[in-house]
Amino acid sequence: MTSRIEPSIWITSLVILVLPFAFGFNRYYAFVLGIALINIVWATGMNLLYGFTGLMPLMFAGVAGISAYAMLNLVMEHGWSFWVASPVAILAGALIGTALGIPALRLRGFYFALCSLVIQAVLTLAFIYFSGLTNGDIGISRIPLPDLGPFKGSVSGVGYEFLLAVFAAAGIIIVSLIMHSQLGRKLISVREDDVLADTLGIDVVRCKLLAFFIGSIFAGVGGVLYAPYVGFVSPRSFDLLVSLNIWLMVAFGGRGTILGPVIGAAILAPIPSLLQELYMIKDMLYGVLIIAVIILMPRGIVGYSFRKTPQAPLATAPHGGAASRP
Amino acid sequence: MSDTFLLIALSTISTGLILGAVFALVAAGVTIVYGCIWLPNASNGQIFLLAALVAWSLTANHDVPSALAICLVLAAGIPVAWAVEAVLIRRFYDVPDRNIAYFVMTLGITQILSGVFSITYGLWSDQFSIPPMIDGITFIGLFPMPNNRILVLAIAAAILAALFALLRKHPYGRALRAVFQNREAAALRGVNVRAIYRLSFILGTLTIFAGGLLFASAYSFDLSAAWTMSVTAFAIMIIGGPGSVLGALVIGMVFGFTQAIVSVFASPTIANFSYLGAMLLILLIKPSGLFSR
Repeated sequence: MTSRIEPSIWITSLVILVLPFAFGFNRYYAFVLGIALINIVWATGMNLLYGFTGLMPLMFAGVAGISAYAMLNLVMEHGWSFWVASPVAILAGALIGTALGIPALRLRGFYFALCSLVIQAVLTLAFIYFSGLTNGDIGISRIPLPDLGPFKGSVSGVGYEFLLAVFAAAGIIIVSLIMHSQLGRKLISVREDDVLADTLGIDVVRCKLLAFFIGSIFAGVGGVLYAPYVGFVSPRSFDLLVSLNIWLMVAFGGRGTILGPVIGAAILAPIPSLLQELYMIKDMLYGVLIIAVIILMPRGIVGYSFRKTPQAPLATAPHGGAASRP
Repeated sequence: MSDTFLLIALSTISTGLILGAVFALVAAGVTIVYGCIWLPNASNGQIFLLAALVAWSLTANHDVPSALAICLVLAAGIPVAWAVEAVLIRRFYDVPDRNIAYFVMTLGITQILSGVFSITYGLWSDQFSIPPMIDGITFIGLFPMPNNRILVLAIAAAILAALFALLRKHPYGRALRAVFQNREAAALRGVNVRAIYRLSFILGTLTIFAGGLLFASAYSFDLSAAWTMSVTAFAIMIIGGPGSVLGALVIGMVFGFTQAIVSVFASPTIANFSYLGAMLLILLIKPSGLFSR
């Protein structure tokens, strides 16, 4: 049982760190890259929950929104520095995200997905309703860029994309470290059969909550970086469609692999920017892709091309039986 | 007091009955399909809206009489449901955890349909209504009740009654309930499980179509009706118990009256909020629902 990280992960991380400078010549392409990098952070975090722990968190974007709004409130209303406000906001989002993951202790599969969808709907309604903090449907614009602490000026341009690249690369390496650790193996055994994992002495409750805590940190990091980068957030920036799109990136790239979600985000995240005039088409295109992924390649690009041998069949009964427990 | 109060009470009751019947129909369609095939149809609201919008097109653009338009849309629903079953649904019948795959797939369908609606119907109008099937008003005391809404209520009640009769008495319905309870045992007793799956998908889709058509002929609607209906139908299914048509009927009626009563005092959004809350509560306390056997 090796605990070494594959070379492909190091190479991908290095490529990600170099990309901002390669794209720096053109602001438009650099922006598309920046959005893709944020989505890599999100997809990597959701992969920890969906790919490795087997829970489908459709409230992921809502958790990102909590962190983003908390950061914006601290920076814009209370004059905190971005670098102080962000960790606080991310921690707050992660704690709330962990609390929202509590239903996962009782529910699995479809029932948890439905529950998380309801939570996402409630969060979106809350973002619209508490307009004192979020400015409602109008949204918050003119978000200041992150400051440079003691120095004058702010993080902008290629510097910002490099910042995003650092977090994306760090996210990938952290998830692969987790997956090679004991925790990662426990998470996978929880995904395969949590009753069995429990009888083997694995603390299923602790594992699930820890997965939610770490996954929510990824959501929050993405949210906190997203708001100043785009310069505008509204409840629509963190609604169910965003959660579904992140899910699609994970599933399209290959759930349960480290690089799959990265590839999925790199391919899918630029689509909205490239189809700017056809933004209505974007949602339909994502819908078609969701159906295509489910029907044609349930294991995603990476799972499809690199893992030819079929996985062992599940231990549950083929029809209903054990799987019908909610 | 007296007259005004009575008028408000009667109008609330009539709205509650019609909304409740529509909710019960759509939720029954969703719950039959989930109980049988394990397909949680998240796109039920869009399908509901699809039926209503096509009927609107027929009446507004082609001058088809409302009653005929409704029958045409219902008839067209059969081949559509059949085709969807053959292309998308059938291939997952043997997958053990298919409900989550179906759930995500229907969310994808939701995205496609809502995109299609917003770039077609959304550009044409923001409120849609279908001319009444019959004219005239009947006075219940002082309260004027349009005959059309009485007819809608009667049709909804008839469809629900027919659905119950089908499930209780008809051999098909009995086979369907056998598959609900235990598909292996049903297969061993000679029930063609796949045929029952197909039948229940078509039946469920038609029931959702009927709900959309009846709603459209009683009230004017807009494109946001789809999302509200999806949430409501899921809440009814979860609270009533997945697979329980009785649960769909009872909880559908409760929700219909809740919506009617809340709308008198406040915005219907609050009713939606309470559905979501009730669904979360049931998911956490008793995920099998109130009416499960």
